[in-house]
Amino acid sequence: MFEIISNTVAAFFTLSIFSFLYKDNPFYRFAESLLVGVSMGYAIPLVYENAFIPYVYTPIFLGHRFSLIFPAILGILYSFRFSKNLSWLARYPIVFGMGIIGMSVPMSIHSSVLVQMRSAMLPLNTINSVLIFIGTVTILLYFFFSKDHKGVYGKFTNVGVWFMMIGFGASFGYTVMARISLLIGRIQFLVGDWLGFIK
Amino acid sequence: MTEKIIAFFDKMQRVDRRVIYLIVALSIIIPLVIPFNSPTYTEEPTENIYKKIDSFAGQSNKAVLLSFFHDASTMPELFPMEVSVLRHCFERNIKVFTICFTPAAAPLVDYAINTAKENYDVKSGVDYLNFGYKPGALFLPIVLGMGEDISEAVDTDSEGRKIKNLEIMKDIKNYDDMNLVIDFSGSGSALSWVTYARAKFGANVAAGITAVMVADNYPYLQTGQLLGMFRGLKGAAEYEKLVDVFASYESDEYPNGRPFSKEVIKSIEVPITESNITYIDKDTGVVTDTGIPSNYKYKVARIGMNAQSVAHIMIIVFIILGNIGFFVTRKKNDGL
Repeated sequence: MFEIISNTVAAFFTLSIFSFLYKDNPFYRFAESLLVGVSMGYAIPLVYENAFIPYVYTPIFLGHRFSLIFPAILGILYSFRFSKNLSWLARYPIVFGMGIIGMSVPMSIHSSVLVQMRSAMLPLNTINSVLIFIGTVTILLYFFFSKDHKGVYGKFTNVGVWFMMIGFGASFGYTVMARISLLIGRIQFLVGDWLGFIK
Repeated sequence: MTEKIIAFFDKMQRVDRRVIYLIVALSIIIPLVIPFNSPTYTEEPTENIYKKIDSFAGQSNKAVLLSFFHDASTMPELFPMEVSVLRHCFERNIKVFTICFTPAAAPLVDYAINTAKENYDVKSGVDYLNFGYKPGALFLPIVLGMGEDISEAVDTDSEGRKIKNLEIMKDIKNYDDMNLVIDFSGSGSALSWVTYARAKFGANVAAGITAVMVADNYPYLQTGQLLGMFRGLKGAAEYEKLVDVFASYESDEYPNGRPFSKEVIKSIEVPITESNITYIDKDTGVVTDTGIPSNYKYKVARIGMNAQSVAHIMIIVFIILGNIGFFVTRKKNDGL
């Protein structure tokens, strides 16, 4: 019985969201607002239970690890974003966060630049390696704006444009597939779980 | 005649977009309600993940970590992947851990485990373990910490138990043992595992991603930084078939599943319309009914791919018609 009720409620809100395809309406806006509210309502106690209690309350008040008060205060400074006069205080935890991100720079360079470069320098003994070589070089030439894209140089950069267009086409094809997959998921729920037409 | 064609395309150019929505919706609903068997071809990015996980079978010092980095909005693509991987692990007696760093993913982890384990006699803390939701701010310390000692980095599981006391943690210390991380997400979060867990500790990383993100992640697959990749619903359908053909296969020769073979996967089809898991050998035409019920939840991605194929054909037809219409009406307008 519970499953029937929960599926009917979910189906109502799915159809309310889909109704936007016809035109904007109060059902759509109600479902959209409820989604935001429910997400926040769900996240707040979960974060309190899984972040605040084990990483702030328990170690400070029960474990007496008072050094943790400093990062806790730094975190509290975020809430000054809501104050007109004191919002500048929120910059300190943000700056700290930026510093942490900086730590990842060497490792990011390794995985996103060095390894990528190494694999673009393979011997040209397969069609794939030749295509990767031509694609990489011509696209890099395209993004070199200190020279006019004319004459022989322009022809090379045009090849780069073609490679990029093929890349965008592949991206778009995958995007279509993703969007259709989401629709399939919802229709599987509506037609299968809710109406029971899929066996 | 030419005028009639021009008038037809003129009309087509002005067709209400809601009519298109309706046709696309019907092209999805009909194949779902009336399913048909279409071949599922498996490809290397998915097969590599299968082979890696399968190589851990029965080894107490090897495990897989599944990171759920998504919410319900991407479930249609990612959930079948997660269920299939969990099913593979349960089927082949492979230790599996789960973790999530977003609050919205926490119930999805439980849902995936409960869906997959329904037909298996597996226990939390022995065969699988859910580390549970960990705050996103702790992503970096946890990912780096697991490279040294998992029980120190994670400390407690989703039920609040100290993980170092659990049976599943015996022989599992760090990425040397938990040697495959699969990140399921609709974003580029797999890159974070590549950057920290792989670059620093040499962990094997694979990605289960929505189709939108596939093109972005291909460079990491090509360089070998990603061991494999589930590419949207297609990847999920491929893995469902791999588990059906190999992991859940039972015979006198292979009582606990047969080893992966490229020849076998090429020659066998598993029809989704049968009520039992049935193998059809495409070369010999031999049909083998295993007698094992074919559960809907274990073939949901393959059923979805039927609808996907029909919808893609419809979209291709619309694109072709739209372009013909554009050129025909332009010719007419130029002539005016």
